Amino acid sequence: MSRMLRVTCEDTTPLISELMDHNLPLGKRLRLRIHLGMCGVCKIYEKQLEVIRALSQKLGGDDAPTQKDAALSDQAKIKIKETLKQSN
Amino acid sequence: MPESLNSDMWVDRYGDMMYRYTLVRVKNPDAAEEIVQVTLLAALQAQKSFEGRSTEKSWLFGILKYKILDYFRDLKNHRTYELTPEDGPDPLDNAYHQDGHWANLPKNWATDPHKAAENKQLVEALAHCMDRLSDKFRNIFVLKEIEGMSSEEICKELNIKPTNLWVILHRARNQLRKCLEAQHWDTKK
Repeated sequence: MSRMLRVTCEDTTPLISELMDHNLPLGKRLRLRIHLGMCGVCKIYEKQLEVIRALSQKLGGDDAPTQKDAALSDQAKIKIKETLKQSN
Repeated sequence: MPESLNSDMWVDRYGDMMYRYTLVRVKNPDAAEEIVQVTLLAALQAQKSFEGRSTEKSWLFGILKYKILDYFRDLKNHRTYELTPEDGPDPLDNAYHQDGHWANLPKNWATDPHKAAENKQLVEALAHCMDRLSDKFRNIFVLKEIEGMSSEEICKELNIKPTNLWVILHRARNQLRKCLEAQHWDTKK
């Protein structure tokens, strides 16, 4: 138990990230939970990663707001239309 | 009335939408344009398989997703996913005291994930910060967080070792949180 309690923030942050990607073995998961239960700063870090994940999902949707009004150029549109016409 | 296809209108109706969707993922405008064209050509040739069970738009986006994944698969042939100096240092390298506790405390962003996602400025800030990642980090991050692929799938498709994948994801996230903090939370006291 004392070994579990001695987990530092430095040990914990990679585990927080790793747990977002796949399951951790029970021992690691337990150490992570115990540390997060005591450490508000690492909780903040965990929340930040969750915010980044939520933003990414929004950005990936087909209704995402985009920073630039990115669009195909008129030239590109003509080229694609031509290509489609030729192969139809 | 089942949906029908109208290929003459595809470029005007969906071209820009498909382009933006692709650009978020592949970053390079020429590659994004190429992928849109390849997708529409493939769609044209697959018209017979359209059964009207989905909308024209979601059918086209289904093909687009597949073509984007093809693009990432092709990249693995000329890109290594080992870490190199161009990937930059881990922003957390100097974030701790010697005893392993935080020295540079993460800021409380004071937002919950759902609220954050509704904040257009924040989503745009993430797009900006993603474009500052190295291509290697960006590609992996996109497959994981934007495409939502599992770690196993990514390792298999790109031929990466799992430990390598976790290190890249962890460091990409750290670079993004540093950049987002500077973009969004530094100016708001």
